[in-house]
Amino acid sequence: MFFEAANLTKRFGGLTAVDDMSFAIARGEIVAIFGPNGSGKTTLLNLIAGLIRPTEGRLLWKSRDIVGSRPHRIAAAGIVKTFQNPQLFAELTVLEHLMIAAHLPLQRQLGLRRLLTLLRADGGTAQLTERVERVLRLCRLEEVRDEAAAGLSYGGEKMLGVAMAMMCEPELLLLDEPATGLGQDEVQNLDRVLRDLRDHGTTLCVIDHKVGFLGRLADRAIAMHHGRKIIEGPPAGVLADARVIEAYLGRGHA
Amino acid sequence: MKAGLAWLPLFAVPFLVHNEVALTILIFTYILGILAVSFNLIFGYTGQLSMFHAAAFGIAAYVTQLSMAYLGVSFWIGMVIAVLAVSVLSVIVGTICFRFKLREFYFAIVTLAFSEMVRLVILNWNSVTNGSLGINLTSKPTLWLPTGKVITVEGTMAWYYLSLVALLLTVLVCTRVVRSWMGRCFAAIRLNDQLADTLGINVFLYKLVSFLVGNAGAAVAGALYAFYLGYIEPGYLSIDQSLAIVAMALLGGRDSMAGPIIGAFILTALPHVINLGAEMRIMVYGFILMLTILLLPKGIVGLVARRRRGAPGLLAALVKPRDVL
Repeated sequence: MFFEAANLTKRFGGLTAVDDMSFAIARGEIVAIFGPNGSGKTTLLNLIAGLIRPTEGRLLWKSRDIVGSRPHRIAAAGIVKTFQNPQLFAELTVLEHLMIAAHLPLQRQLGLRRLLTLLRADGGTAQLTERVERVLRLCRLEEVRDEAAAGLSYGGEKMLGVAMAMMCEPELLLLDEPATGLGQDEVQNLDRVLRDLRDHGTTLCVIDHKVGFLGRLADRAIAMHHGRKIIEGPPAGVLADARVIEAYLGRGHA
Repeated sequence: MKAGLAWLPLFAVPFLVHNEVALTILIFTYILGILAVSFNLIFGYTGQLSMFHAAAFGIAAYVTQLSMAYLGVSFWIGMVIAVLAVSVLSVIVGTICFRFKLREFYFAIVTLAFSEMVRLVILNWNSVTNGSLGINLTSKPTLWLPTGKVITVEGTMAWYYLSLVALLLTVLVCTRVVRSWMGRCFAAIRLNDQLADTLGINVFLYKLVSFLVGNAGAAVAGALYAFYLGYIEPGYLSIDQSLAIVAMALLGGRDSMAGPIIGAFILTALPHVINLGAEMRIMVYGFILMLTILLLPKGIVGLVARRRRGAPGLLAALVKPRDVL
């Protein structure tokens, strides 16, 4: 089993944000998670990434329970998450962001030999240049590579978030509304990047409200409402389901 | 490379300047520079406002002297023991603070509390530390020259070069660290530790490493300072000393290696330029700190870096605006 959530529940005081969610993700697929605002989608991703701890339930990553693991351990194990509101190191440049995000591949590549690179003038960065260049090119961030992240457009910030996650070489990439707030061109660019990732073997789990974009991209969809899973299946079927339309638009539209 | 050349004139200073006071100020600047640069690794680069730095400085001064007195070892072995002792303490204090995720002023207050605990122990453990009277140090470090000759480090010239080389080594080590992947982890933690965590950076570990390496630098400074001055007292660990270190980093600028050294120089030279009593000095420190924060958030280095575009030169080479990454 690649990834599985079993009876996952998160309560914040009296509010149950995620309620008894059970689902699995297979290697290589793109899973979309739909649901209106407040349906618990972001909480779900935060639970998987280890940013918050579930009240109940299990998270199995390659048959190992990862509940209670620190986020950096989960990232090192292969699950990386991007943020809905771009999280950046504001004053650093785009290139510096990617160099920081290269921490995990460098760790995998060199292990404890990283300590030896401290003695060298380049600090062991030479090995990463090629990968950094590839990600910059793919995400179309080459032109702004030496600009401070604080000066990027909103779309640029979001793309940088995806680019950093790519540098981590995750096996399962969790994307929290990557297309929200993006222009048409930027969405197309994102679509291209995500397909490239899938083609290179990365499994994706994506939340977004742009149902057209995500419906075309995803292999499978899960719809959530009030923290519960209401339906799971092919995206077209899920989006046409009466309960999903009702959750989004209210009773009477279904 | 250019920044390396900027060090050369400092080696020539004793041949050009024969003023004892000026050279003494420079020796203190170099030793306190080690203290300030190592502090800035924790503060400026990793973003943790440690108030433990004066404690690491003072503990090392005592441990060096006490190991020489009780174990009969040389100054250098005593210094190594001091660095090890400070490292062990740093791991304990750091683990407590970083496990509980203490940030900013919470971290400052708890590290300050640890410093005060150690200071009170030293102050009251009369039989070993001689309490508030302190200890007069009569021995001096010795050096083995490549020719086989053994010299005692005494007098201004010997101390000048010893302290300059020690500072140079500290800056070299710190520069290597901050320009490496480890320095990138420090920067990531300073700027957004939650993001660093999700990118697979072990925030706890690298905060601890930064704290440990920084305090080890303070330990070296403490041993040198004590034996140059020839006197140790609990005041080494005082809050005033901690604040003076913060002032050095803020005044010079915390985004570079040169900043804290420039800050150390100004705060060392100031009492000689304007004649001040000890109490007045603290007031001046506080005043400078306030003015710097209000007028020069990036310190003197930030000011120079802003103006340097038209005028490359020795100062510009020495003052690199940002050594991170």
